[in-house]
Amino acid sequence: MNEPADAAAGKRGGVAIEAQGLTRRFGPHVALDGLDLRIAPGEAFGLLGANGAGKTTFIRLVTGFLLPSAGTVTVDGMTAAADPAGVSARIGFVAETTRLYPELRVGTFLRFAGGARGLSGSRLEAQIDAGVARFQLESSLNRPLGHLSKGLQQRVNLAQAFLHDPPLLIVDEPTSGLDPLQQEEVRSVLRGLRGERTLILCTHDLGEARELTERVAVLSRGKLVACGPTREVLSGADPLALFRGENASAA
Amino acid sequence: MTALRALLRKELLVLFGSPMAYVALTLVVLVTGLIFFDHLRLYNQTLFLFASSNMGGFESDTVPDYINLRDTVFFPVMETLGITLIGLIPLVTMRVFAEERARGTDELLVTTALTPAQIVLAKFAVTYLFVTIMMLASFVYPAMAIIEGGIGAQHLASVFVGLSLHAIALASIGLACSAYTSNQLVAAVAGWAVGFVLWDFSWLSSFSFVGERSIAFLDAISLHLRYGSFAEGIVNLGHLVYFVALAALAAAIARFSFDWRRVAG
Repeated sequence: MNEPADAAAGKRGGVAIEAQGLTRRFGPHVALDGLDLRIAPGEAFGLLGANGAGKTTFIRLVTGFLLPSAGTVTVDGMTAAADPAGVSARIGFVAETTRLYPELRVGTFLRFAGGARGLSGSRLEAQIDAGVARFQLESSLNRPLGHLSKGLQQRVNLAQAFLHDPPLLIVDEPTSGLDPLQQEEVRSVLRGLRGERTLILCTHDLGEARELTERVAVLSRGKLVACGPTREVLSGADPLALFRGENASAA
Repeated sequence: MTALRALLRKELLVLFGSPMAYVALTLVVLVTGLIFFDHLRLYNQTLFLFASSNMGGFESDTVPDYINLRDTVFFPVMETLGITLIGLIPLVTMRVFAEERARGTDELLVTTALTPAQIVLAKFAVTYLFVTIMMLASFVYPAMAIIEGGIGAQHLASVFVGLSLHAIALASIGLACSAYTSNQLVAAVAGWAVGFVLWDFSWLSSFSFVGERSIAFLDAISLHLRYGSFAEGIVNLGHLVYFVALAALAAAIARFSFDWRRVAG
């Protein structure tokens, strides 16, 4: 079950994301410790772990928001430090629900998000129309983001990540803080993305990972403790043992 | 350029879409009005005392030359306004970067096509625009004192340029402070501290351990000296360079905050 982290990527051919010896320290605290990981194009990949396991740190290293202390992480062969524009063009990033501008209206926000990614004119309008239709935001276009429910905010968040049609979508705790109905709403959107583009889902919800991902990596205290097909990794008697940092055989 | 335009538009919408902008503008007009009318009241009282102390009653030629609108109202108003702006401007700048960090939207910005330099440029440009509008609003009363006091249009322009540059310098300091924290209060306090320290170093001359060279250097970098020069109607290239250099330094410090965060977290 604890297959080499790059085996599945090798089977599919090509690598969307590759981390080699990826390490990130915050002072004496090691948030990510020598992570080796390969994610194949088109794969629905889950990044699991308890709070503080290093999931968000990994995502921030991929997007270039943070720099690694050691090792490298590449997106389609590019690092965010060397080619930030190339990496940002390939990534659609969905942060947690609160990371929006509450004073902006949905339409205005989408126009900003598209413009900030270099879209303009008829292409921008076409992409906004497509996003609005896909995430069913027609009735919310003129409402301020701060007046929307968290579920709707998360749909706006997903819509903005799709505007530039990126091949890789990174979703960080997409259902955190949502009620069960809103969680299902967001999950159904993510289910529809499987196979369409590379999806990295960062979560501590095992059910969500089972439902939405093909392969998962489990992090504990910054270390990779398991990596493999989702069903295999999470099929053990006590999958939470992985979260506690016990090795793969515990699961 | 598309990305920069989009960010400029967003910054304008966020700024003018929040009540803070209008509260700040109203506050500036109110405070400036209070300062102006207080000095005008003092001027009128002094004028009255001098005029009425003469047995002949209200005779304008009994009033000494130094009791005039320029020296009794305009210069003190400009001096007080300069200090007041040190208190007011950080209230405008404190949210600009700190709010993005507190909300986590800075992460969204970094994953777009925008470069850190463009983010800094857009935020500085929109803040400068707002501060200039603030200065236009607050300049009404000093302008009245100048016009009524018989000072010409050139002097008026010089004063406005000086006032705006002073406000822009304070805004630059406030923005640089805001770029290093997610706490708006910390950003405001840091802006006040740096602004007040840079305002005037002349008090240091009373300490014997501070050498003359140090005092000369500190005088050269103080805001008060430059601002006062414009208020007297003197537009000096050196003073202009000082304000441009201060703004450029603050922008560079704010730009560095992005690299610092990527390394420090």
